[in-house]
Amino acid sequence: MNTRCCFFLGSVLILSVAPVFADAVVEGRVELPKSHSAPVENKRYEIVTKGGVLATNPPLAVVYLEGAFSKEVARPTRQVAQKDLAFAPALLPVQVGTKVEFPNLDDTYHNIFSYSPAKRFDLGRYRPDEKPVPFQIFDVAGLVTLRCDIHEHMRGLILVLDTPHFAITDPDGHFRLTGLPPGNFILKAWVDSRTTRERPVELTNGSTAHVNFP
Amino acid sequence: MTAAPEAVKSSAAIFRAKLQAAMMLVVAALTISGLYLAQRKAGADAERNLQRDFQAELTSLHVAEEARSAALAERCRALVEKPRIHAALEDNALDLLYPSAADELRDLMEPEKESEGEEQSHALHARFYRFLNNAGDVLSPPNQNEVGILRPEEESQLALKPLPDKEQTGYLLHEAGAGEERVDEVVAVPINSTETNELIAALVVGFKPVEITEKRAGNEIKSGIWLNGWLHLPALREPAREAIDRELTRILAAPNSAERSYRVQINGAPQLLFYKRLNPASVFPPAYEVCIFPLDKSLALQRRLRWQILGAGVVLLIAGLTASYLISLRLSVPVAKLVVDSEENRAGRKRVEAVLATTNEELKRSARFSADASHQLKTPVTILRAGLEELLGRENFPEEVYDELSSLLHQTYRLTGVIDDLLLLSRMDAGRLQIEFNPVDLTQLIEEWLADLNALPDAAEVEMKAHLPQDLYIAGEKRYISIIVQNLLENARKYNRPGGRVHVTARAERGYVVLTVGNTGRPIPFAMQENIFERFYRGSIGENVPGHGLGLNLARELARLHGGDLHLVCSNEKWTEFEVRFRISEQPEIDPVAAT
Repeated sequence: MNTRCCFFLGSVLILSVAPVFADAVVEGRVELPKSHSAPVENKRYEIVTKGGVLATNPPLAVVYLEGAFSKEVARPTRQVAQKDLAFAPALLPVQVGTKVEFPNLDDTYHNIFSYSPAKRFDLGRYRPDEKPVPFQIFDVAGLVTLRCDIHEHMRGLILVLDTPHFAITDPDGHFRLTGLPPGNFILKAWVDSRTTRERPVELTNGSTAHVNFP
Repeated sequence: MTAAPEAVKSSAAIFRAKLQAAMMLVVAALTISGLYLAQRKAGADAERNLQRDFQAELTSLHVAEEARSAALAERCRALVEKPRIHAALEDNALDLLYPSAADELRDLMEPEKESEGEEQSHALHARFYRFLNNAGDVLSPPNQNEVGILRPEEESQLALKPLPDKEQTGYLLHEAGAGEERVDEVVAVPINSTETNELIAALVVGFKPVEITEKRAGNEIKSGIWLNGWLHLPALREPAREAIDRELTRILAAPNSAERSYRVQINGAPQLLFYKRLNPASVFPPAYEVCIFPLDKSLALQRRLRWQILGAGVVLLIAGLTASYLISLRLSVPVAKLVVDSEENRAGRKRVEAVLATTNEELKRSARFSADASHQLKTPVTILRAGLEELLGRENFPEEVYDELSSLLHQTYRLTGVIDDLLLLSRMDAGRLQIEFNPVDLTQLIEEWLADLNALPDAAEVEMKAHLPQDLYIAGEKRYISIIVQNLLENARKYNRPGGRVHVTARAERGYVVLTVGNTGRPIPFAMQENIFERFYRGSIGENVPGHGLGLNLARELARLHGGDLHLVCSNEKWTEFEVRFRISEQPEIDPVAAT
């Protein structure tokens, strides 16, 4: 509910601001893989593997604009918490150079580590009230699989992107990217660890481009 | 006569000797067969006990080994579930595989230096481990010191192509330095991706195998492992080891040889060899557990037992032979007596037989004579009677001549009676008289005779009375019984004094009919009573009584032929009584005699 509300408020805010800044906007829909579980509000997303492919369940996609952006954007610190023996959020897209904290909200120890080529780290065991909160800075683009050495079933994904322009779709696959510079770019949609779709897009100030990923 | 007792003695001795021999033979046969059976049973028991002990020992070891293998496999399974190992394999971080494993498997590995006493507690410690990639090749470790040192050719033996999806047990023979060789038990555990559940790798861990000869008191089993055509059995010295090795290689080449035990000779000593496939259904090369158990002790035990049985048998045999000798001596005493007795009996019998033969011959001759004489006599008597009757028929003779002729004719009738009696007797003597047994009504027969006799002219002088029950039937032939009755009644009448009495009675008595005929005639002197039944014997009393001295003899012979007898009951001044017995008979339904 909160996510949708924020999304909706954000959209309203962006829509109201857009004519002022006259930046380009991309919106559309990503055709998500069919999910058998009915969409439920406040649904907990989890990472599932099917045929060696990591994805969220219910399916979500990350849409991002690829290109060389000289503009420096502030990178706020993000968090991936461990709650109820699961990562929350299960899928987190960040820009390269982002600091991600891993707070332990459970009553037990966790030991978050990753052997992924994009980022290898091992936070070691830490208690729920560990201070400072263990963190990592993700400075290489790529998909990072988060694991817990104590709870072998726990999986989380951090998609490290070399762009400040990205968004997670809603459960229906709708997305909207705002504040984009004009020009010719490639818009990509990450669906799962093996599947990233892309579409060329031409952006002009003040206009809204519509791109659908079938 | 002097030779006979000697012969008897020697025959008794022969019998004794034969009896002894037979008994000894039986005793010896029984003892020997008993010995044979006892020894065979003892041998079979010993063999069975040995096998059982051996199998029990092996079974307990195998149970322990299986439990340990299960523990090892469980441990390995737990290890391969470790998230870091999975992460290294699944997240394309093979360089982190062995370093991660070094941490995770640290307590699995055998400590480098360890005090001797704690060796037992480290039975679950590994000597080395390696990972196999999804193709089944060994992933080389960056640092062999952490994962257990193996030579490259040994390491390559751990490869499993294709990667098995189940746990596998194998064995690895490798150099342990200083020319020593060592066999390690190898457990391969497949690693499945937690994400895809695909087979992505395998962990191969080498353990020290269970030593079967582990310092068990009194245990003489030597054990080893046969692997890839090589027998690893350090307890066995070289030429013997090689011999067993060759033997095993030959046997194991045959199919269906998972488990077996058989006997072998090592350095001339018999041994029980047992082998068993250690890793059935494994993709690793087959390995066999080989156990050797020396049989010399058990064989020595069996040999001793055999000697004991043999000794006992000899004692038994001697005792049996002695007993049989004594028993045969005792048994032969009555037999010797019997031999003497039977010898005497035989002599006596021979004498009697000779006498009997003579008598028989005489009797036959006499009977023949009587028969011949009778026949020869009958004809002239008949001619004589015919001549006399013809003379009597003439009318020109004086009166006294007729009297004389009548008297002569009477004599011819008497002569005919004598001849008939003689003929009958001779037939009886020759044994040619066959009695045709029929029921005969004795009462009726006697009454008829009494009536006939009372009708005679001199009937008035003697009173004849009968006391008879009705329908008294006896078994016999009527005409012969009639002769008996006639003789007795006529005698009673003839030898009676004038005005005397004759009393006839008959009664049934225990299957017999007893007929008594008594009279008041003069007594028969005691000395003569024995002789009155002899032929042609006529007592002094009968000198003026008509008769020919055959009647009583004939009557007695006939009575005896009928299964009865005739004898004198008493004879004194007042009363003389004869008694004749006949066999009683059932009364016929339709009396044929009564009709006549």
